[in-house]
Amino acid sequence: MLRIQNASFAYDGADAIRNVTLEVGGGGFLMALAGPNGSGKSTLLKMIARVLRPRSGEIFFDGQKLTDWPAKDYARKIGYLPQEIDATFPMRAIDVVVSGRAAYLGRFSWETSSDYAKAEEALATCDASHLAGRFLDEMSGGERKRVFLARVLAGAPRLILLDEPFAALDIAHVQQFAFLLRGIVDRTGSTVIFAAHDLNWAAAYSDRMIVMRRGEIAVDAVPAAVMRAEVVRDLFGFEARVVDGWVVPRA
Amino acid sequence: MTDSSIQPSTHLPGRLWRPIFVMTAVLLVVVVISIFIGAADVSWRSVVAGDETARAVLLRIRLPRVIVAALIGATLAVSGLAFQTLLRNPLADPFILGVSGGAACGAAISTALGLARVPGLVPIVAFASACSATAAVFLLARRHGRTDTTRLLLSGLVLNAFFSAIILIAFSLAPQSDLAAALRWMMGTLAGATWGDAVLLAVLLTMAVIVLVVTGNDLRMLAFGEDDARARGVDVERLKLIGFAIASVVTGAAVSVSGIIGFVGLLVPHLVRLIWRRDFRFLLPLCVLCGAALLVLSDLVSRIAIAPAELPVGAFTALLGVPFFISLLRSER
Repeated sequence: MLRIQNASFAYDGADAIRNVTLEVGGGGFLMALAGPNGSGKSTLLKMIARVLRPRSGEIFFDGQKLTDWPAKDYARKIGYLPQEIDATFPMRAIDVVVSGRAAYLGRFSWETSSDYAKAEEALATCDASHLAGRFLDEMSGGERKRVFLARVLAGAPRLILLDEPFAALDIAHVQQFAFLLRGIVDRTGSTVIFAAHDLNWAAAYSDRMIVMRRGEIAVDAVPAAVMRAEVVRDLFGFEARVVDGWVVPRA
Repeated sequence: MTDSSIQPSTHLPGRLWRPIFVMTAVLLVVVVISIFIGAADVSWRSVVAGDETARAVLLRIRLPRVIVAALIGATLAVSGLAFQTLLRNPLADPFILGVSGGAACGAAISTALGLARVPGLVPIVAFASACSATAAVFLLARRHGRTDTTRLLLSGLVLNAFFSAIILIAFSLAPQSDLAAALRWMMGTLAGATWGDAVLLAVLLTMAVIVLVVTGNDLRMLAFGEDDARARGVDVERLKLIGFAIASVVTGAAVSVSGIIGFVGLLVPHLVRLIWRRDFRFLLPLCVLCGAALLVLSDLVSRIAIAPAELPVGAFTALLGVPFFISLLRSER
């Protein structure tokens, strides 16, 4: 489904992504992009979402170069949730979610009742139907996250890109959100790639783990293979123990 | 007042007709009242009876003035909505990127050079300098092929400060006899509006509304941030270029006709948003109607408050708009 070939990106001359090559197949699984702050996770997601264009290298989706995809056609295939997102002016949850259908609308057409039906379905999937009529600024961080995830789902994407979905959530909500993602992947068969700076959460909630370091892919493996003391020492540079699959600092 | 139903807002276009109908009715009433009230007493009976003076007052003075007021009010409100949407900033108004500063600077310099008495020159100079000011702001803000919003706002701020300095200097050098007219222009005035102004403004406003309707589906996606919009297939840079260009050109034209009328462009989009709480596409036609109604009403009050003398219309946009705005804010949940 997705193939990244020698892609690089630099901000003002500072390398953010260096020669990344990666292949992601289709078919319903969760892939984590882990790694320390500044390792290039967000930049890589933005490149896949076509927010940033690689300075060199190519990205292919379904065998076709990203640059060759008509913008709105590609926007229907992917759903991207930035780390921080909000609406400039107060908006109702249902209006936020239905705007996730934008790539399906013609230039002059507005959302139809079938778009609203899909939006309501997405809200239900995210356990947020009761929020439909509420305004974003009246919601907690966790509720807002669910509404914006519903907005992504409303577009029926095959590839879902989430930047730090667990940031700013308490531990109960992290569990709940991860459970939700698993349900979506199982039910819709879409693939989720999520960035997480927390190695434990990345491992706990993914089927495949990519660990990035200084703009490069350092490890690409199943979580169990990553969560080992020597791997963590190599990647993050600190002495750790692994207890029940969770990395904890050595006392 | 605010739409408090928690029903999902289905069939938006269908829901738009009622507010449009109501606001059109309000605008028509305000326009008709404005046409028949003023310093000179003109009744519709005397016009129908064929009174030449009454007819001249109505057709050559009152009517073009009321229509120009409506068009400028609509233009400023639409332009304000576009700027707030494009900059994702509730404090944005049509003058934020240096349009007013540029126009006023051009007008002030031509006044200082004693050119203010050449008929029709000041508006042309004002329009040209408004457009060049916006272009300068854009060039300052552009980096790596992208126009950063914070840099835009900052460039606008700095350039407006620069223009204020020039205006102060120009005014202290200008011939004493021309100062009153220049000041009146700076405060905004609709006196002397002509049919030619009305045609020019109508054409430009129509163009702007068409452009904003065509790009409306993309523009409203900016509410969630530029990265989000890009991921949804919106060409953000092109959208910003088109949006800022059209909003600046129509604002420049409005300023060159009426001088700087403040507050309409900032207040009306918020007013409309507070009442209907919808996205850009929904607010656009309502901004046209509300902006027009507010400025026609403000102009009426400024004409009759101490008739036959006139007060600055810009003062009344705020005096009439603010109490309404505050009552809306207070009635929010």
